[in-house]
Amino acid sequence: MIVFVLQLVVAGLTVGSAYALVALGYHVILRATRAINFSQGEFVVLGGLVAYTIVHVLHASPWIGLIGATSAGFALGWIYERIVLRPAARNGDIAVIIATIGCVYILLYGHALIWGSLPQPLAPFTGAQGQAIHPGGVAIQEQSLWVFALLALAFVALWLLFDRTTFGKAIRAAAVNPVGAQLVGIDVNAARAASVGIAIALAAFGGTLIGPITLVGGTAGTAIAIKGFVGAVVGGLDSPLGCAVGGLAVGVIEKLLAGWLPYQAVDPVVYALLLLALIVRPQGLFGRKDAVRD
Amino acid sequence: MSAPLLEVRGLRAGYGELSVLRGVDLRVGAGEMVAVLGANGAGKTTLLRAISKVEAAPQAGSVVFDGVNLASLAPQRIVELGLSQIPEGRQLFGELSVDDNLRLGAYRRGRAEREESLRRAYALFPSLAARRANAAASLSGGEQQMLAIGRALMARPTLLMLDEPSTGLAPRVVEQIFGILAQLRSEGTGILLVEQNAFLALRYADRAYVMAEGGVALEGSARDLAADESVRRIYLGAALDEER
Repeated sequence: MIVFVLQLVVAGLTVGSAYALVALGYHVILRATRAINFSQGEFVVLGGLVAYTIVHVLHASPWIGLIGATSAGFALGWIYERIVLRPAARNGDIAVIIATIGCVYILLYGHALIWGSLPQPLAPFTGAQGQAIHPGGVAIQEQSLWVFALLALAFVALWLLFDRTTFGKAIRAAAVNPVGAQLVGIDVNAARAASVGIAIALAAFGGTLIGPITLVGGTAGTAIAIKGFVGAVVGGLDSPLGCAVGGLAVGVIEKLLAGWLPYQAVDPVVYALLLLALIVRPQGLFGRKDAVRD
Repeated sequence: MSAPLLEVRGLRAGYGELSVLRGVDLRVGAGEMVAVLGANGAGKTTLLRAISKVEAAPQAGSVVFDGVNLASLAPQRIVELGLSQIPEGRQLFGELSVDDNLRLGAYRRGRAEREESLRRAYALFPSLAARRANAAASLSGGEQQMLAIGRALMARPTLLMLDEPSTGLAPRVVEQIFGILAQLRSEGTGILLVEQNAFLALRYADRAYVMAEGGVALEGSARDLAADESVRRIYLGAALDEER
């Protein structure tokens, strides 16, 4: 019984890592542009597909695939801010929401045109597909260990960027006070584009990490986007730690429910959790109370 | 007369389609303090915004700073050239520390310059040094104004523009701030000062412009304008009453 539960927790933390990275992406974009980017999940899928192309078409190492997909994510995010988010923002918040939802479909059918609609396997970073260690009888895929380590690395890198570097602080300054930022010589547009680049890079990074476990491509993006959003809201959209913990928690809850409930019942319960969290603690577990009015 | 530090000619500016400034001419020399007076809505704030190209946009006319036409420059390039503004409401980064606010003031400067400017800023405002790790939003109004000035000075401006620096501050703090402005001027920094308190502004400034309805209605030395009957009646009346 305990082994069974731990097995589900490991599986939950693995998919939850992808939700956590998506949730962090929501946080970064929200902080910089005050918008929720609903296409975040499709960029997870796209990142996995870019890695698939690098690894299985160009026959490079999975590490090159990870670096390539993450870099491509940053570049795409930058462009996405320039050609979608920024023009939409001139027409108000609703226009931004519609534009990011529209991009879900452009990306979904766009990558199906290029890569086909069937999910593809992605090689794990080390060892053979599915190779696992068995501490205490619980099977943990080697790839899951990479997922946990690299999620931690991404989290620390984000913290260092926004709390320890002048560039990161300039991005924060541009977000909290664009007028003040311009007056000290910060290029506010570039700061926003860089923020969106970072968020999309996180999504692509996450898609490549879990690709070897979940397959890449197909229609998984919407579920990842919504579950990442649930994680962000449960943990607190304004708190990076909250987003990471919330994303992991949603993954664990989802897998634990799947251990006992029929699979059709799992997602409704996860979404019910979102409603409950919004009612009980609208600022999230780690959020500040004053963030709610935003 | 040598070329002025800032020369504004026929400046029309405003917000989107709307024009607030209808052809403003104005000059500021190096080491000169120039005041801009006028009633609410005369266009004083829009003038500073249009020169910095933040919030308001120039529509016609020219702004030449230190021999460079600003027409094609982005706001960050204008700061880089040495023109800084301390806006109405100060526009600090509330959630960031005093230290971070100051450091970001030197965002366009190199690391060595930044550290030296930081030492100078703390020497100029010792009360900020004591609160360097505190969030900017936690400071008192006077300290916030000092932080706003300190942050602008971090960029090493040769021309400093201030929008209503005395608003909402205790007289003692106002005197301290104007003392610092006088010191900066004596070191060669040009100062363009928008001020509601005409009495105060004319006491410190070398020259002044009186704006009305988006244009310049009067200009002259601060001494002449302070003695001018119409200026006394319209702009100094209230201030003189307040002084009593």
